[in-house]
Amino acid sequence: MAGRIETLAFKAAAGRSAAAMTWLAHLDDQTKLLAKDLEDITPAELQWQPKRGMNTIGMLLAHLAIVEVFWLHVAEGHATEANMRKSLGVGTDDDGMPLPPAGTPPRGLSGLPFKYYLNLIQRGRRQTRRILKGYRDVDLARSITRTRRNGQRQRVSLSWILYHLAEHFSGHYGQILLIRHLYRDRNGKA
Amino acid sequence: MSTTASKRIESRILPAPGCASPTVALKVAEIADVHAQLRAAIRGLPPAAFAWQPAPRTNTIGMLVAHVALAEVNLAQVVLLAEPRGHTPDVLGLTTDDDGMPIEKYGSTPPAVLAGKDEAFFQSLIEKTEAHTFAACRTLREEQLGDEIARPPRPDGSYRVFDRRWALHHMVEHMAQHLGQLHVLKRQWKAAQPAG
Repeated sequence: MAGRIETLAFKAAAGRSAAAMTWLAHLDDQTKLLAKDLEDITPAELQWQPKRGMNTIGMLLAHLAIVEVFWLHVAEGHATEANMRKSLGVGTDDDGMPLPPAGTPPRGLSGLPFKYYLNLIQRGRRQTRRILKGYRDVDLARSITRTRRNGQRQRVSLSWILYHLAEHFSGHYGQILLIRHLYRDRNGKA
Repeated sequence: MSTTASKRIESRILPAPGCASPTVALKVAEIADVHAQLRAAIRGLPPAAFAWQPAPRTNTIGMLVAHVALAEVNLAQVVLLAEPRGHTPDVLGLTTDDDGMPIEKYGSTPPAVLAGKDEAFFQSLIEKTEAHTFAACRTLREEQLGDEIARPPRPDGSYRVFDRRWALHHMVEHMAQHLGQLHVLKRQWKAAQPAG
């Protein structure tokens, strides 16, 4: 009998810009793996804090959705709180991040199941997909200047925004896996 | 690439020069950016921070840095360069077991080979990895990215097939995931230090 083959290939969907579609494929790949990794997670684990001041898995999941929508709004030139609520149904600060040193998770996320967070990410992703399909390579070189909350002026290119969304998603995904490990360790689950 | 002049921050991701393939050039730029973030994250840490465990059975910062370096070099060798087997000691002086991961497999304690290693050691791992990856990427052509690279069968008869696009994607996301974990460990290590 022939051996089982595990194929690991990476292919972006068709679009006007191959680079933009590759970043979208990065996000989709990570979301699919994340959903599989968290398919059995409970609301208790989602809101578990390793210690005061540390993020919960639920906060990180909400943050992923919010940040993706936020940066695409920046790219499209309409990053306002009203547009965030219209796009995602939550506010920019509803992830509760950054937490103060002894902070606790936001009440608004209390008791929510994984399905809620996955829906939130997928709702944002539908908008990301629609926008990215329209980008051409020449659009990716376009720069946007914005002012951060601390007054710092920031100039970012569209390509940096898309790359940042990809590596930002992966970075927090890694943290989610670490918190799962800590949770299982504290609760005696191997 | 980020530059800061007074209060202005400029962030761009530009294809790396000198690559035969535009797709690879962009991936090399991403890998370089995550390497730069990794180097910045460990800058100034004392040897004790690299060996610190927040709890039993958890990875250390040193293990994570060694792991991402080993994984990237091995992947470059067996997928990007399609070599029959990895030979990480030739590049890093470490075998793929020397990261001590997964920690449960190695007695739940950090590996002795990383004990007492300082920042310079870990920075050099990242530098050697980057030089090796970039050399492997430079001559890759666009039409080679979808080639199937089959690995030798495992004991159960199964075997893995990769393409180079996946390898380049995995290098970025794998390193970014562990960088995210490293940031958490670093914050925990700082919080655990005596005040003053």
